[in-house]
Amino acid sequence: MHDDPDAVTLLEAMAATLTDRVVPALHDGVQHEARIVANLCRILARELAESGADRDMFAALIGHDGKRGDLAAELDQLIASGHAPPDTLAVLLADVTRRAEITKPGYTFTDGT
Amino acid sequence: MEPDAAAAGLSELVGCPVTISGAASLGAQRSTLFVDLERSTGVESAVAQISTGAVETRPVTAEAALLELVGRHGVPVPTVYAATDELPGIGLPAMILSRARGRTIPRHILRALPDRDAGDNLARQCGAALAALHAIPTTEAPPAFEEVSPTRFVELQTERLELLARPRPAIRYGLRWLADNEPAPVDSTIVHGDLRNGNIVVDDDGLVAVLDWEVAQRSDPMQDLAWLCLRTWRFGADDRPVGGFGAIDALVDGYETAGGTFRQRAFDWWTAARCAWWAIGLAAQALAFTTGRTDAIMLAASGRRVPELEFDLLDHIRRIDH
Repeated sequence: MHDDPDAVTLLEAMAATLTDRVVPALHDGVQHEARIVANLCRILARELAESGADRDMFAALIGHDGKRGDLAAELDQLIASGHAPPDTLAVLLADVTRRAEITKPGYTFTDGT
Repeated sequence: MEPDAAAAGLSELVGCPVTISGAASLGAQRSTLFVDLERSTGVESAVAQISTGAVETRPVTAEAALLELVGRHGVPVPTVYAATDELPGIGLPAMILSRARGRTIPRHILRALPDRDAGDNLARQCGAALAALHAIPTTEAPPAFEEVSPTRFVELQTERLELLARPRPAIRYGLRWLADNEPAPVDSTIVHGDLRNGNIVVDDDGLVAVLDWEVAQRSDPMQDLAWLCLRTWRFGADDRPVGGFGAIDALVDGYETAGGTFRQRAFDWWTAARCAWWAIGLAAQALAFTTGRTDAIMLAASGRRVPELEFDLLDHIRRIDH
């Protein structure tokens, strides 16, 4: 355990400080970089707050347990060799949707025009 | 690169005194500088591009020859004043171009459009520019521009995917789908390869110039239309698929009115292909950071943009296969 505020709270405060106070005081050249840093703070806060409930999707698809990286590598090889399990596209879409909603909330709610 | 040495080298290249007035962009592969040419007839604002990247895809002189070729065929491009593969005193490839007046920053372009008609007009102009480009006989293209068929494209992306640090089953799935669904063969044309909101100059009358021809190739012309319409270049304006400013119908209308032939199935294939290409490209930028080849935070942040492109890729495939 660390002291308060916790990591998520701090990252959100760092992002708000950068956006509200630092960015307006910067010149064009570095403003963009400061915005990127603020956005990364928000992404990290969401990553830390994530429950991890969806992480066994690859295990269910492949049919056995394992570490996320190992399962991803195994699935990668199954797809490459033309042996992708039947529900592969749906599971991959669910996985990228979960990750995209952390990096860019709202991105996957689209009518796809 | 010393500014004084760069100015001296550029002066020797173009044959008149050159002063550097600012940096337009300092990319990983090339620096774009605003320069003033002190000609006998007066001072002219121009642009100098100096390649700083370790990996040069092709000689800058070949890119200059291509710009001259496409300009002759009616594609709006800057005029090349001078180009060299070895700038005097610097040793790097460099090119001096006329400075197209207008907006280049995507969000500025979108904000300045008064209404949807103006955006559709810009999409039509992009279509017409691409039709003019795609009508040029490929025999006239400089030999340095490689042929990239759909099959070759998938091979190249599979090689790039293998170089990434971690497995990416979503991209792998996309590449398998691409290999299994190749469009009908078509005669290759010269393809810009990176025409998007961000590589165009726009003023109040619309398209002024098409910039950044460094990844030009010979390929399926639908690749250019697909890349221009990728969601990642709409800057949030998803109801305007062409660069965030226009309707697909307007782009296709401009393209076909100027003599091009739009092929929906190939357009859809190249949409998936370029989603995969850019997903790998973003992951490769992040890898450059984690392996210490760059300390740019923007490239580090690219790693967190990969899921967007993976989503676009798989969502697109799902809709097509549905």
